Amino acid sequence: MNRPDKRATRILIVDDHPVIQAGLISMLATHPEVKVMGSAYSGEEALARMDEDMPDIVLLDLRMPGITGIDVLNAMHEKKASARAIVLTSFETDENIYRAIQAGAQGYLLKDTTQGEMLQAIAAVQAGRKHITGQVAARLAERMMRSSLSARELEILSMLAKGLTNKQVGNALAISENTVRNHVNSIFEKLEVADRTEAVTVAIQQGIIQVES
Amino acid sequence: MGVRSKTRRLILIVLAVCFLAGLGTAGTLLYLHSSTRGLPYHDSFAMGKADEWRAFGGTWAVYEGGMRNDSDERGAKLMAGSAYWTNYVLEADIKLLGEDGDAGLVIRARDAEEGVDSYSGYYAGLRTRDNQLTLGLADHGWQEYEDKPIPHGVQAFQWYHLKLLAYGCDVVASATFPLQGGQTTTAVVQDRDCLKAGGIGLRSYSSGGVWRNVRVHAATAADLQTMLTGQSTREITTNQPFWNGTSIFGSGSLPSHVHPEPALAEAAVQPISSLRMVTSSRPVIATVRGVVALSSPALYVQDSTGGVGVVAESIPPLKVGDEVLVTGQVKVRDYSASLVHARVELLWTRTPVAPISVTAGQAATGSFAATFVEVEGIFTGASQTAQGTPVLNLAAGQQAFRALVENSRGGVLARKLRRGSQLRLRGVCVVDPAETHNLTPFVLLLPSADDVEVVAGPPWWNTRHAVISGFVVLLLAFVGHLIYSTVEKWRLKAVADERELLAHEMHDTLAQSFAGLGFQLQAIRNRIPINMPVVQEQLELACDLVRHSHVEARRQITMLRAESIESAGLGAPLESCARHMLEGGDVKVEALEEGDPRSMPLRIKDTLFRIGQEALANAVRHASPSRIRILACYSDRSVSLTIEDDGCGFEQRSDGKGFGVRGMQRRAATIGAIMAIATSPGQGTRVVVTAPLPRHGTLNIWTTLLWKRLRSRSIYE
Repeated sequence: MNRPDKRATRILIVDDHPVIQAGLISMLATHPEVKVMGSAYSGEEALARMDEDMPDIVLLDLRMPGITGIDVLNAMHEKKASARAIVLTSFETDENIYRAIQAGAQGYLLKDTTQGEMLQAIAAVQAGRKHITGQVAARLAERMMRSSLSARELEILSMLAKGLTNKQVGNALAISENTVRNHVNSIFEKLEVADRTEAVTVAIQQGIIQVES
Repeated sequence: MGVRSKTRRLILIVLAVCFLAGLGTAGTLLYLHSSTRGLPYHDSFAMGKADEWRAFGGTWAVYEGGMRNDSDERGAKLMAGSAYWTNYVLEADIKLLGEDGDAGLVIRARDAEEGVDSYSGYYAGLRTRDNQLTLGLADHGWQEYEDKPIPHGVQAFQWYHLKLLAYGCDVVASATFPLQGGQTTTAVVQDRDCLKAGGIGLRSYSSGGVWRNVRVHAATAADLQTMLTGQSTREITTNQPFWNGTSIFGSGSLPSHVHPEPALAEAAVQPISSLRMVTSSRPVIATVRGVVALSSPALYVQDSTGGVGVVAESIPPLKVGDEVLVTGQVKVRDYSASLVHARVELLWTRTPVAPISVTAGQAATGSFAATFVEVEGIFTGASQTAQGTPVLNLAAGQQAFRALVENSRGGVLARKLRRGSQLRLRGVCVVDPAETHNLTPFVLLLPSADDVEVVAGPPWWNTRHAVISGFVVLLLAFVGHLIYSTVEKWRLKAVADERELLAHEMHDTLAQSFAGLGFQLQAIRNRIPINMPVVQEQLELACDLVRHSHVEARRQITMLRAESIESAGLGAPLESCARHMLEGGDVKVEALEEGDPRSMPLRIKDTLFRIGQEALANAVRHASPSRIRILACYSDRSVSLTIEDDGCGFEQRSDGKGFGVRGMQRRAATIGAIMAIATSPGQGTRVVVTAPLPRHGTLNIWTTLLWKRLRSRSIYE
């Protein structure tokens, strides 16, 4: 298995649970094709270590105190980090999976995943492919079908981003204000936000709409 | 800063309002307690008004510009004025209506009740028995201070001018008899522990009397001096001729007042009831003897057989209870007779006749025409005659009747009575169409406003109160329901929050530890040399066990997460719950709902959801089905939930243990639901839970039902 000509994949483990960290380090240490460069307990620490350790792959937990996994993914995307991320999480909601993939995660694994699948995923992502574990993939597909925004909703969302009121949107689209309100509520629901500002922010973050400069 | 100044302004406003309110209250109190409020006072008996007076016994009524008390009652009083008047003069013209009694004025009166000396105040009166002016203090007992003989005696049916002054602790009374030289008699008392303040009163003791020109004005020390020196002699002014009865009745002492019974009349006297039998077309003259039942507004006389109305050109001053001889022309109407062009002679005074207690039905027959009766009835409203006399409309059963009250105090009475009150009225029953106007079978002529007695107030349960109570009950029910549902919602919310917290905790500790442990075991297993197959195998098993536990913990966390409360029905949350458990496997899940889930109480919904979760978890874990069906049926009376799978089923154990069945049954029991499991190996499993809904329902259900009923009716009509 061990090929001395190929450099071992450098890995950064990001998880706030010491049990997980310790377990992962122990397990991955037994495999020469991967090399654990270090571990971080929080999102902030992870971002700091990324520059230092230059990992190829980041094994990232989503739920952490402070900066969440999604935030880390967004930050990585922003500073065009060379590392690729595999989300390694315990049970998460559909929305989290969806948002993690939207934020640029290359892989998605559950923590009860087998050792074999984990190594397979690391290899795949290192090779530039995606790896999303079976159960998650099915739910992700469903989530994408269920609540992606409709064309009309996208249209309205982009108008909201320009700062139009419901009434103005209604006038522009020649529909009643009530209908606009219904659409807006459905947008809030799908984006899981509480108000229009947040809706626009999330929509921009997730790349659903582009800001015209 | 802004908030503080706003608060300060608010406090200032509140203080200002409090100050103004206090000032207003103090001003009102000062005004009410003022010793000169309403002074000077002059009666309005001439206009037939006496609203400000309150009677304590007697039959007080305004008649010909004077306040008249016909009754022989001992210590009948009529009170008025402010309890805070201190120094003032009360004066009035007084006429006694009988011998052997006294009549006079009261000042500084308080705490009046019915009874001889049941008041506190100073009384000055003219007494016929010993021809004296008497002055004394009544304080729920009588203490006579001064008796001064009046020169020419005290005569009945004569006007006297009486003046009573209180200044400090000096009380002075003076009586003037204007006819014979206008001599003034003065009685003076200096009372050390005097009564300080009080209102005014008219009072008679067994003689009855008439009072007029009642005046009050504030007194000064000069007034006191004037009265003490006896210089105050005032001519009595009246535009009414004095009744020159002295020549007829004699004067002064008791025997002389009684007219000698004419011997001639005795033979011709006939019983009053016989007057009705007169049928002759030519005028019949009859003479009757009887007691005066009513002297104003019309004269009614009755004997033991019945009563008769009397119309005469001139009538001597009579009072109720006088025995009279009446000769006149008989006039017979439908049910009653009257004597017209009559000559009335006063024989002697007697006690008034007691009223005969009859029902309204009996009075309506006419048998008691012109008789003094007592009738009970329910007050239905007040009106007025064309002359402005207050009329009380009454009903007793099906029988309606009316009562005419004398004008002066009847108006107040008519305003004060509440509709629906039960009244007992004493008056002369009149069936003559001239008085009844054929509106009611009879009318009662009441001698005074005091002949109306309220037996019982109106019944509390009238339409208005019923409607108000209905509204209050509805409102209370609504508020109660609101509070109940809010509390219930809070409780469930708290439970859901607790569950969420628990799920969070489990996720953070248990699940993570299982995962870490799994990795650690895997690491150990990786390092075990290949030549130790037994250890490897055992570690493999341990890894599997940990993974299995991890999966189980995740399922528990899913189940703990609250999802049921937000949605209306059970189908959607259970379906999503099933999908979570299956995690994208190729098992078909279908959810169906029948009926309207809105009427389901939260508690029942939550419990059913938990049972459904458990059943789904069992199906996913043990049955390996290819299809799962969720069916929720809502009706007005019950909710039933069915979870069905086509998996391997299981052998039902007799004790009902295993597969969480016991937990499900315990949950079902808390809401009184019945749970049935149909399964056998290879046949799939069906769990049916049926929960009864509370029968009383909620306000929502009531309104829904009402709406449905109304709509269905309007469709069919």
